[in-house]
Amino acid sequence: MSNAIGKGKLEKRGVGLKLYGLLIFVFLYVPLCVVLVFSFSPTKTLVGMSGVTAKWYKELVQDQELLKALLHSFEVGISAVLIALLFGTSGAFFITKVRFPGKGLFRALVMLPFVLPGIIMGLTLLIFIKNLNITLSMFTIMMGHVSFTTPIVMFQVSARLQRMGPNFQLAAQDLGATPFKTFWYVTLPMIRTALIGAALLAFTVSFDEIVISYFLTGTWMTLPVYLYGMLRFGLSPKVYAVSGLILVFSLSLILLMTRYIGRSSEEVLVKR
Amino acid sequence: MDRKKRRFDSPRSYSKGVPIVVWLLFLVVVPLIFTFTMSFYSSKGLVIEKILTLKNYKLFFTDPVYSRILFKSLRLALSVSVLSIAMAYPLAYMVSFKMARGRNLLFMMCIIPLWVSYLVRIIAWRSILGNRGVINSALMTIGIIQEPLRIFLYNRFAIAVTLTYICIPFVFIPVYTALEKIPRNILNAANDLGANELHSFLNVVLPLSLPGLITGFIFSFIIALGDYIIPLQLGGTQGIMFGNLIWSQFGFAFNWPFGAALGFILFVISVTILGLTAKFGSTEGGFLSE
Repeated sequence: MSNAIGKGKLEKRGVGLKLYGLLIFVFLYVPLCVVLVFSFSPTKTLVGMSGVTAKWYKELVQDQELLKALLHSFEVGISAVLIALLFGTSGAFFITKVRFPGKGLFRALVMLPFVLPGIIMGLTLLIFIKNLNITLSMFTIMMGHVSFTTPIVMFQVSARLQRMGPNFQLAAQDLGATPFKTFWYVTLPMIRTALIGAALLAFTVSFDEIVISYFLTGTWMTLPVYLYGMLRFGLSPKVYAVSGLILVFSLSLILLMTRYIGRSSEEVLVKR
Repeated sequence: MDRKKRRFDSPRSYSKGVPIVVWLLFLVVVPLIFTFTMSFYSSKGLVIEKILTLKNYKLFFTDPVYSRILFKSLRLALSVSVLSIAMAYPLAYMVSFKMARGRNLLFMMCIIPLWVSYLVRIIAWRSILGNRGVINSALMTIGIIQEPLRIFLYNRFAIAVTLTYICIPFVFIPVYTALEKIPRNILNAANDLGANELHSFLNVVLPLSLPGLITGFIFSFIIALGDYIIPLQLGGTQGIMFGNLIWSQFGFAFNWPFGAALGFILFVISVTILGLTAKFGSTEGGFLSE
């Protein structure tokens, strides 16, 4: 970006590319708009759509099962995130601060739930759970969610620790702080935003998760699993209303999250 | 300085790793071992017989039905990866090189769809491609067709479009990261030496962004290969892919040992491919980096 002339020339020539980029943006955002538009449509199809209505949203409030599923999603999300914060943060300290043999392999193993197809996590956990004779319940879904939220937290926190370097902690120790005091007064405030960002990110992913949950769900359903069940009867206006609600909620969480998470792309990536 | 001399810390400091190791054992390693073990069991009706046998693997490698589904899925995953790159690479290039202002905003806009519920995005595509969906409605309103076309939904095309939609951010992020790391004065140098944009793209930008490209390619490939909900929702009769073949073993087919074997095969394929990323891809694309 140093050469202003070169930059100007480059930018002028990019008209075709920008048009193509615009088309891809349309491709990315039209589907999301479609869901929102349909959720306000008084008729089932777009043809003959006249006016807007909020009646489908009002119907949602009366659906006890749906509200229960929504509550379940919050319960699973919050508890899974809290557990993941514990595992993930301590794991991040372990992997960035302690030098131990086999670190590369260890890191790869920890990343597995994050990089493997969700179906593998789903079926291995299901087989594990059945072998232990645990019945499918809130606990099993939460287990599944802890499996993929932990690497998210660990990833965010270790990225932050890496950038911080060891000097702040070493300085605190030189000044006589105990390891606990160092953590409480130096490290924790410095990783606070990473923790909040990671928690929000992990909750967003947990709130939307279906691939693993679908394996681990009995009769105790989260919102996506309940929505998936609704799809068996086709696309109804109610399906769109639930989708619209999830859409808006996820977007708000993301906007909130961007305030805490670093802009570097390494830190924002997450699977599904 | 004393710390630097020793290669590893003393085992006493390993206690920090206890929680994450417990997590790793109980949620990743042991379930994988259980799955591997179960893949050698066999199923009789509703009972799982705990006698070790190679039956499941033999069935997979001898009955061409299964390998055909796997190859069909590999082909689909390949086309999804190529399509995702065709869409995400130019987009990343545009945002990184062509925008004077608003790069951060555009970057966010490219990855926001990643966080919008996976299921909602599937529902969106069902409603776009469906019989009474957006495309058919639009075509009927213009008057090109009188009856809704059934060519859009419940086939491989629908699966490919939706998977591509899901995968675009996964290619965009590592490619964009790689592009952002290219020092801009290298391009000016190429320019000064008389290279036009195409030349400097082919000789400078593309090689330097290759690790990010490979990472994106492999991730979209794995996502597409392992997905089972999209084939179930949008695939119709053409939609039997490796993912939902596995799923059905735990559902109506109720053959968990065979499902475990198929799952383990998918695991081996995925890990092999991921190993390739670690070797050739960028570790800075955000997947395997620290």
